[in-house]
Amino acid sequence: MKWIYIVITVLLSIPNLYAQSTIVQKDTTKVLQEVNVSAKGKKKIKTDTKLAVSVDEFLASSQSISFIKRGAYAWEPMLNNMSSERSSVTIDGMHVFGACTDKMDPITSYVETNNLSTVAIKSGQEGNLHGATVAGSIDLQRKNTAFGLDKKMSGNYQTGFEFNNKQYFNLADLSYSGQKFAADGSISFRNAKNYYDGNNKEVKHSQFNKFNSSLGLAFKTGERSALRVDAIYDKAKDVGFPALPMDLWLSRALITSASYKQLFEESLVQFWDTKIYYNAIEHYMDDTTRPENLVHMDMPGWSTTYGLLSKIALQRGDYSSEIQLNAYDNLSIAEMRMYPQDRSNRTMFAYSWPWVTTRFAGLSNNNSWNLSARSHIIVGGSLGVNYNYSKYVEFNWIFHPGAPQEKTRLLPGLHGSYHMSIDRFDFSAGVGYGHRAPSISEAYGYYIYNSFDRYDYIGNPNLKNEVSYETNASIGYKTDRLGIQAKVNYFYIQGYIVGKILSMGSPMNYQSVGVKGYTALDHANIFNLALSGHYDILPTLHWKGSLTYARATDGRGGNLPFIRPLSYQSSLQYQHKQFGIQTSINGDAIQRDYSPEYGEDKTPAYQIWNLSADYSLPIRKVNLTLQAGAENILNAYYSTYADWGNIPRMGRNIFTSLKCNF
Amino acid sequence: MEKIILFLTVLCYALTSCTKEKTDYEAEINTIIPERTQFEEVATIQNGPYTLRIEALGGKLYKGYNEVRLKISSQGQPRVSEATLLPIQTGLDEQTATCPHLHQLTYKADNDYFEGYIVFTDESSEMARWDLQFGFIANKQQHNSIQHVTVQKQSNKNLNMISFIGSDGEQYIIALVAPQKPKVAENDLVAGIYKLNKPTTGSTLAFYSQAEGYTLELDPRMPEPSMGNHSSPNNKDLLPGADGLYHGVVNYTMTGNWTLNFILLNQQGRIIKGTVVPDDFTPGVAGVKSELHIDILF
Ligand SMILES: [Cu+2]
Repeated sequence: MKWIYIVITVLLSIPNLYAQSTIVQKDTTKVLQEVNVSAKGKKKIKTDTKLAVSVDEFLASSQSISFIKRGAYAWEPMLNNMSSERSSVTIDGMHVFGACTDKMDPITSYVETNNLSTVAIKSGQEGNLHGATVAGSIDLQRKNTAFGLDKKMSGNYQTGFEFNNKQYFNLADLSYSGQKFAADGSISFRNAKNYYDGNNKEVKHSQFNKFNSSLGLAFKTGERSALRVDAIYDKAKDVGFPALPMDLWLSRALITSASYKQLFEESLVQFWDTKIYYNAIEHYMDDTTRPENLVHMDMPGWSTTYGLLSKIALQRGDYSSEIQLNAYDNLSIAEMRMYPQDRSNRTMFAYSWPWVTTRFAGLSNNNSWNLSARSHIIVGGSLGVNYNYSKYVEFNWIFHPGAPQEKTRLLPGLHGSYHMSIDRFDFSAGVGYGHRAPSISEAYGYYIYNSFDRYDYIGNPNLKNEVSYETNASIGYKTDRLGIQAKVNYFYIQGYIVGKILSMGSPMNYQSVGVKGYTALDHANIFNLALSGHYDILPTLHWKGSLTYARATDGRGGNLPFIRPLSYQSSLQYQHKQFGIQTSINGDAIQRDYSPEYGEDKTPAYQIWNLSADYSLPIRKVNLTLQAGAENILNAYYSTYADWGNIPRMGRNIFTSLKCNF
Repeated sequence: MEKIILFLTVLCYALTSCTKEKTDYEAEINTIIPERTQFEEVATIQNGPYTLRIEALGGKLYKGYNEVRLKISSQGQPRVSEATLLPIQTGLDEQTATCPHLHQLTYKADNDYFEGYIVFTDESSEMARWDLQFGFIANKQQHNSIQHVTVQKQSNKNLNMISFIGSDGEQYIIALVAPQKPKVAENDLVAGIYKLNKPTTGSTLAFYSQAEGYTLELDPRMPEPSMGNHSSPNNKDLLPGADGLYHGVVNYTMTGNWTLNFILLNQQGRIIKGTVVPDDFTPGVAGVKSELHIDILF
């Protein structure tokens, strides 16, 4: 079979070497293949030294993603050194909104590696296909088995044990591919106890338990059309957040969708894919395991989203295009109930998210023209309407008297880039412009306690859109054995939303030292640089390395928080027949440009050394892979610039895993 | 395939039902605060051809501020357009006193009733029996009626009152009038401030009058130890309004126990009563209150 891949977004996503997304053209044998085509040469979900990883560990291996960590579970992904409200995080293009006011549940925590095929990361405005963004997009793409594969059944099973936090995991998935019917199913369990830091001290409240399962059924409805229904059910229970004053008792997510895809033959329109979706999340925190807490609080949260997306891909000659309609409706509710010491007294209640509705409808368009065999340009844009409604707006009026209950915003986005390859070099340069609406917490949050700077945060419904102007460039050089690449991007963001100390009001949470309100800086500057390279020293010995640097200021010379200091990663991989050995070091330099204003202190440099070995052994049709290794072999005691409350990271961790697939 | 979809629908339904129920916020406030929205009959008095019907919210009188209505129906007689009210408290030793009230009732022609208010300073007991004296002029003749009433304990803390002697040696009463049912929001706070006048010669009763030109400084706090004397922003001190009552703004940031800390200033800006509450956030310690304060709950 001959597939023609139009790799748009690889070229688009300048700072993301690994991110790929493809539009597929129909194959010539006129057999309807799978609804969503998995990209060729996509990055497998593993890291340099580890075959069995969590979604977070996998994302952490990407250059453009860093993490705010509040424990061992559910790390908050930062794209281009910007926090998660600035990026659009989706699952197969579907918007899911976390139900936790303390960001315990980024969307990445609701999937599992065995139901994903890849993660598409796009930087800046190139990521606006699924909705308005500033930092870019992270699309978690699920497994999606094609119809009529030679191999009808395939499956994977992974199990493993990690010694540091006594984590064991069992992940299994099974796929079926028939002529008229295809199915994917997965199930996974993870269970971990508290981890130990580099001083062999137990980090209390760092345990987690996660159950995830998914099911996808695809029915062929015609020669060139198919219907697919998908569901993910995720349940996390008894998850500790050592950096927060509370843990998670229970979080459940149900993420469902139904999509219909029609392929067209020999026409301008390549395919038309329409999906409706629904997801619901419930999130219940728990502070009863923290006897040091003076006040017992209940903080439940709920988030429900309905959505629609419809995408058309066009192709004619040297021109290809995709047009996508996105629409969703989300209702986010978060409550806060404080219990007085004398329990016979009345409890105290308030909404931290006073029933906030967000509706969005937008149209996105990306176009690519091949100007010659060696160069092409990409131009795209999006226009969205964002509507918010706060049901109990009287909560918002306390700090912002007379703020409107409803607010409609227009969110435009534009981007363009030029790509050229000459001999062994390739170059690109691009610009972008885009708006984003404030998040629910930023606009309507009410006394949301931030344990990092120990302030209660108040949303501001009157905030203006954040407006981003970006420019980016890359240069790469490639030979058969060597590849190097440099990528830079720069964002000038007007109305950059941050929390500022308010002169009025007093804290509500007893650990809090004051009240901060979300306000906009006049502007902020964010600069990211990434260098990466690989070299095949021997046919069996490969080197890979990368270096990133970022600098971000608030426009008045102050630093922005959570900006990654100079960081590096270097790994060597040796493969001899069935046997492989990998080693890597990674670390951050000292955090020079920290921001005391936002509660940061100077984080010292650290370096981590990892080593692993694996052996694969085919037994008839089953391929068995065994791996054992150690992370942080030298048991370094460290915490990174983005570890909430400077909680120490995991010390030496010996891990083992067994993987079999057929 | 239909079966599969049906199965999935049922499964979805089962999975999406919430583990914990959401708070019914509006209903919760209602359970704490007894609703009194309707004027109902307290008592009726027959005086010749005249029937006097006394009405109050919920048909009961409570300690604190009470809005009262008087309906006088006069079979075949000319309409009564003037009426007076005098509440009288009788103590154990038959000592009598009155409380803040509107003596000359306001006639509402549209609905044909008289309107006024009474701020009962005590609930009914053996030590304090309450009677209402009504007077009206009909056919150029003065008619008087008296009715014994029962004053109940105030069940809504948002209508609490306080009486005190100020630094000027005068006796004052502050009674909360509104909001009857506060919300986690900006609330218009209304209070009546009354001053006891020295009895005029020839009268045994000392009357209260509405305090005029005073300022009531407001500092709302949550005194619960866990709340560290939490306060709220954007409050406004109470200033006299055209209706003789004092109007301000109080913001309640969450439900629960609140203390309204006051400082009463006279026309010259001199402190009559009240102390400044420190701004410190003091978690774990019961909140400091002003010498002049009223506790509320919602
Ligand atoms: Cu949470």
